[in-house]
Amino acid sequence: MAQQKRSKRFEVLENRAVHKDGFIGEWIDVGLIAMGSPNDPKPSIKVQNGKVVEMDGKTRANFDMIEQFVADYSIDTSVAEEAMSKSCLELARMLVDINVPRDEVRRLFGALTPAKLAGVMAEMNIVEIMMAMQKMRCRQTPANQAHVTSAKDHPVLLAADAAEAALRGFVEIETTVGVVRYAPFNALALLIGGQVGRPGTLSQDALEEAFELQIGMRGLTAYAETVSVYGTESVFVDGDDTPWSKSFLASAYASRGLKMRFTSGTGSEVQMGAAEGRSMLYLEARCVMVTKGAGVQGLQNGSISCIGVPGAVPSGIRAIAAENLITMALDLEVASGNDQTFSHSDLRRVARTIPQFFPGTDLIFSGYSATPNYDNMFAGSNWDIEDVDDYLALQRDFRVDGGLKPVSEDEVIAARNKAARAMQAIFEEFGFPPITDEEVELATYANGSKDVGTRNVPEDLKAAERLMKEGVTGIDVAKALAKRGFRDIAAALVMMMKQRVSGDYLQTSAWIASDGTVYSAVNDPNTYQGPGTGYQMSEERWNEIKAIPWAVNPEDI
Amino acid sequence: MAQMNEQLVAEVVRQVLQNMNGKAAPAPKGGKLTAADYPLASKRPEILKSPKGTPFNELTLEAVENGKATFEDFRITPEALEMQAQIAESAGRRQIAQNLRRAAELTKVPDERILEIYNLLRPHRSTKEELEGIAEELETKFGAKVCAAFVRESAEVYARRKLLRGDLPSSD
Amino acid sequence: MQLSQELIQKVIAEVLAEVMNGAPAPSSAPEAEVSGIVCTEKGKAARGTDPREVVVAVTPAFGTTFTKTIVDVPHAEVLRQIFAGIEEEGLRVRVIRVYHTADVAFMAHQAAKLSGSGIGIGVLSRGTSIIHQKDLNPLSNLELFPQSPLLDPLTFRAIGKNAAKYAKGEQPTPVPTKNDPMARPRYQGLAALLHNKEARFIDRNKAPMEISVTFEG
Repeated sequence: MAQQKRSKRFEVLENRAVHKDGFIGEWIDVGLIAMGSPNDPKPSIKVQNGKVVEMDGKTRANFDMIEQFVADYSIDTSVAEEAMSKSCLELARMLVDINVPRDEVRRLFGALTPAKLAGVMAEMNIVEIMMAMQKMRCRQTPANQAHVTSAKDHPVLLAADAAEAALRGFVEIETTVGVVRYAPFNALALLIGGQVGRPGTLSQDALEEAFELQIGMRGLTAYAETVSVYGTESVFVDGDDTPWSKSFLASAYASRGLKMRFTSGTGSEVQMGAAEGRSMLYLEARCVMVTKGAGVQGLQNGSISCIGVPGAVPSGIRAIAAENLITMALDLEVASGNDQTFSHSDLRRVARTIPQFFPGTDLIFSGYSATPNYDNMFAGSNWDIEDVDDYLALQRDFRVDGGLKPVSEDEVIAARNKAARAMQAIFEEFGFPPITDEEVELATYANGSKDVGTRNVPEDLKAAERLMKEGVTGIDVAKALAKRGFRDIAAALVMMMKQRVSGDYLQTSAWIASDGTVYSAVNDPNTYQGPGTGYQMSEERWNEIKAIPWAVNPEDI
Repeated sequence: MAQMNEQLVAEVVRQVLQNMNGKAAPAPKGGKLTAADYPLASKRPEILKSPKGTPFNELTLEAVENGKATFEDFRITPEALEMQAQIAESAGRRQIAQNLRRAAELTKVPDERILEIYNLLRPHRSTKEELEGIAEELETKFGAKVCAAFVRESAEVYARRKLLRGDLPSSD
Repeated sequence: MQLSQELIQKVIAEVLAEVMNGAPAPSSAPEAEVSGIVCTEKGKAARGTDPREVVVAVTPAFGTTFTKTIVDVPHAEVLRQIFAGIEEEGLRVRVIRVYHTADVAFMAHQAAKLSGSGIGIGVLSRGTSIIHQKDLNPLSNLELFPQSPLLDPLTFRAIGKNAAKYAKGEQPTPVPTKNDPMARPRYQGLAALLHNKEARFIDRNKAPMEISVTFEG
């Protein structure tokens, strides 16, 4: 191409952040298309003697493992013919019609096939999807989840960041590792830090499935989320599971009284090179149905770690909101993404979050980065801690409950310090490599891992391995904390361990209040039926959201 | 009156079941639990206990410190899972109830064995015979009838979809 | 970091050619292009008995259809560095090509299972790598390098070196993890494109083959 004279306007535009993002045209043959691929199957169902014998144009003998599973476990065959006889448009209108109660929508959607669910979404624009979310999410009160990770897997810093995240209002905190063998320490840091920040905080460690279950059984985590399902058979198998193994795993968690949700998301199949030419949303509908069929209470979706794929193709961000909505319409808890870096452009970053932030979901982010993004070992979140005052301002600007509250510098420093000291005490009690007073001090005042030193990693890893080998449990941690004078944290840990005796938090969309009371879709069901109904912000909560510390008060002038 | 009869029938069925396998979940007082009983920890703590029989409200930090409550106490019982299954059902969540009932059966399977069985259910890990062996073990050793049927079903699907050990050129 | 313009153009051109002509996907690895390496298949890969070897698994398209990583590190350089890392620890290296999966974890696990030391490395064409051990679950790992745009030649050398240390029973300090949160928005769509090219060569029924690697020039 010959060099032409350039427009200064276009040169300016090319230097904008959005031009650093990858944008890609659709490639229908391999499924690099967000919604409505011409290769997606046409919706259909035939039920004989209570069994699905044909679904989306395929007969039972030809079902792959996913199709057999969702046909037998997910679809309510007693309603199937009634529900499938309605047009996609009619069903889409029921989703937004305030005169059709949530329960009625839920009854019908529980009998739809994957192709029908994708077809219904194709009828809806983004505002309609948001209206439907407001009505269809399972629990009435929205909440939020944070990522707490460290580029150095620094246990003291992790505990401090966990405490701050919990204090800021995140009801769940999730970690993962840079180095896999650090995992037990990361879990320990979040367990302790979370209870320091706010008793009741649920913590988890995103790792290989069998290991996650193991540390959950020990009481080092309170729930699990990274239990992935996929929309094509070959990718599911590459993920080293089947719907049967995953369902067994789900029952195994419940058998120990542990909350869990599955994870999926648009784009994972095409990212792994095996989308079989189907659209991302159609495949995601199959994932949501596998989750429903397994009897799992909820799902983390919204593309998650594959966001760069739907984010690069047309209508991709709309598809992501649609997958959240499918999850809600199937009566599942949704942890709705927003948890991965998605764009260099601040404008795109905010816009991507609007569909979940304004209507509210069970967990608006399934990982708001509670650390600077350079420490985010999920490879970065869409929002990080340095954006948090913007987030608080948005809650206040729009009178929206995004799950967070303004905090003072003093209370943050106090919580971080207490968590760091508790870790120091535990390391000493268990004979792990010592945590120095200097490390406590640095973690207390740090913004990120650049502000703390580097620990002796091989020694830490040896100790982490010992923690697993010796079978240390959440109760051992509670005892040690009590012995060292941290009785309130110890009592909070025991309260968390008690949750697995009552099983209350196994119900859909459960979170735990500071006094140990569980709130879920059972005792806080979404009752939205138009203006004046559904979640109504309390006066107390509104005052909290209003009170950002840096606002000027008229009476002070 | 009609309600009384229903409760009576439920009680008889429960007794029969109890006699059959000697360990059916006991009836919570007043018939099946509903969303009104939830959360159990605050509304019905008296019907909850640990696997070792410690009453729910006695699971405290003090009990942990003086050794009256140990790690083994902090586990759900099959009875509590059945109660939560009933609550899920009353809230219209059939599949969750099914999962919680499979879980109730698995409470008896030791941690190590659960992890092993999970890994053996992963694709290309087991032969059909091995999966049937696991189903047999679940049924006879742990009385886990629903889970056993579930594993048998997986063996059929894996055979049909070539997901058994030996179905890959390189699985070894 | 420079986005590989050339690579994008090449892939898009190939995709367009396929879409326009409806040409069928190739069923096995195509002829080698200029990649700086010549790979010769030596037959079905066998389980090694030498406790002082590390096995490296690559995909069918590695060094053939693709010749460099997502950030233009030539495949010859990738292997040269990994080999050097292993050899400077005094160990031997064996290379296999895996056909039945293009999932880097399963590839590396396959390599580990065939390795006399039980340690294997998996490498995708775009650069994504894993160090694996045979007794771990396939989706677990000793060290994982998921962000292909951040892998430079020195990182590949360090990967080889650490793999060799694990093979000798040592507990090395893990290769420092790099994290660039902005790699995803820039590269993930492209990575998906590349992986779909890579995945076209999967043959679920073909066993891993041992290959000999010769460096050119």
